[in-house]
Amino acid sequence: MRTKMMHRKNFNVLTVIGVIAMVIFTISCIYPFIYMVLLSLTSSNTAVLRLQDISLKGLSNYYYVLKSRNFLRSLFNSVLVSVLACFFNNIISAMAAYGFAKKRFPGNRFLFSLFMLTLMVPGQVTLIPDFLIMRSFNMLNTYLSLYILIINAFGVFLVKQFMDSVPDELLEAAKVDGCPEHKIFIQIALPLLKPVLVSLTIFTFVNIWNSFLWPLVAVTKSDMYTLTVVLSLLKAQYTANYGFIMAGATVTFVFPFILYITLQKQFVEGIALSGVKG
Amino acid sequence: MSRKTREAFEGYVYIIPSFIILLIFYIIPIFMSGYYSFTSYSLVKAPRFVGLRNYMKMLTDSYVLAAIKNTFIYTLVTVPFQTILALLFAAFLAMRFRNWFGEMIRSAMFIPVIASAVACGAVWAVLMDTDNGLLNFILHFFGAKGINWLGSSQYALISICIVAIWKNVGYFLVIYYAGIMGISRDLFEAAEIDGASKWQEFRLITIPMLKPVTYLIVTLGIIWSFQVFDLSYVMTGGGPGKSTVTLVMDIYNQAFKGNGKMGYASAIAMVLLLFIVIVNLIENRFFKPKEEV
Repeated sequence: MRTKMMHRKNFNVLTVIGVIAMVIFTISCIYPFIYMVLLSLTSSNTAVLRLQDISLKGLSNYYYVLKSRNFLRSLFNSVLVSVLACFFNNIISAMAAYGFAKKRFPGNRFLFSLFMLTLMVPGQVTLIPDFLIMRSFNMLNTYLSLYILIINAFGVFLVKQFMDSVPDELLEAAKVDGCPEHKIFIQIALPLLKPVLVSLTIFTFVNIWNSFLWPLVAVTKSDMYTLTVVLSLLKAQYTANYGFIMAGATVTFVFPFILYITLQKQFVEGIALSGVKG
Repeated sequence: MSRKTREAFEGYVYIIPSFIILLIFYIIPIFMSGYYSFTSYSLVKAPRFVGLRNYMKMLTDSYVLAAIKNTFIYTLVTVPFQTILALLFAAFLAMRFRNWFGEMIRSAMFIPVIASAVACGAVWAVLMDTDNGLLNFILHFFGAKGINWLGSSQYALISICIVAIWKNVGYFLVIYYAGIMGISRDLFEAAEIDGASKWQEFRLITIPMLKPVTYLIVTLGIIWSFQVFDLSYVMTGGGPGKSTVTLVMDIYNQAFKGNGKMGYASAIAMVLLLFIVIVNLIENRFFKPKEEV
């Protein structure tokens, strides 16, 4: 009895410590972003957040940020590139996954292993050849160059996992009814894949929106910059103008954040499902 | 056309778009990198075979050596911390808070994951400001002396590690949490009947059952730490001195600053690839759970 009580006490102390540690960490996860938004609304040029500094005048930070250095243009670029990336990655990955999962052809298994092998190679290793290849095709400073690299084997892997669980009979039945091949893919397979395609869209969007090294390398004309690149330039140039930089950071942060808030469940499920980052 | 040929034809049609992209931008580039790494090649000069010279040069290049050293420190600091924190939080949430509170905590910890490293770096640079930053304000509040977080070569790398851990925990937490949810309830119930404490359950059931997840998370963590660039670039630019230089930053600086030493940068990239392949091989060879027959 005595030992049991001691046990219980011990364990309660642990629980309290655990809750405190967890709450502190949680606050540390949120607070920097609150700080970012509040500081972006102050007109003082200091890293210290004083509540009396927050005023509507602080909104001028956003006005100046949007006016500066092609920021508005880069916001448009980021949105466009992200949308194109999501669209093409979904279509192309779904096609390949469907081919691998539902079609028998010589080399199927070999090619799929080859696809999976490429997942081991990080983008930093292919950075230089990709740059040189695109340069020789005059593809640098184009939207295509900014989104095409996101189309990789990860999407194929993710969708194929899901496609494997779709029963063949469903597709066979349509075939027997004389449904043409492309219609089977578009009208039967794609709708079935919707949940996994939502996950893939989220992955693609967050990765391409936040990507930094490749746009830094592939873009040399300032009107093709993406948001992350412009933000890094702003930070380097206006070191002491904190409110201004925080306004830029807020704009960069807010798009994936809104997506996350709206599709929270799919975000978490997608990661738990794959356990790999694209 | 027979049914079989037709099906094979359709199969190729479906995979060809992604195959072409992978071939041009992933597979061929690996061989190109390998080839360039043995050449002297800049944007103004065609590649010329120089044998192992680039690799020899790396041995005495203080930036590359600093990058390798920084990468190892970074890995040794971030991987254990982010893995243990994620595991403890996940187990704790799964044990005590399978409710709205736990869900809220998990959601909040995931926010740094979705934010861009550039934005995070910009915000943390402000929080870590020596004179006016929040972190030193807290230190002063407790009577401690402020730290020159990003401006001293002593602390800069550790500061970046702190931000990286902060950014990664939420991601690994989600994977761990899903792993715990996948453990059969019967195990825990049997342990409870036998009178096991929660701590014993954690030690004797949760940790062993999560082994495959832990291998995955550690491998991913190591590979990510070899690829660090964004945080360093934005927060310190590699400095002060060479204290936060990373391998990827070396690749970037060599290839895209000045004349562009593509050959030498490719050699550094091949070393990076070698590190990553070794980590993957070790994981596959020794830690991957044997496939059940």
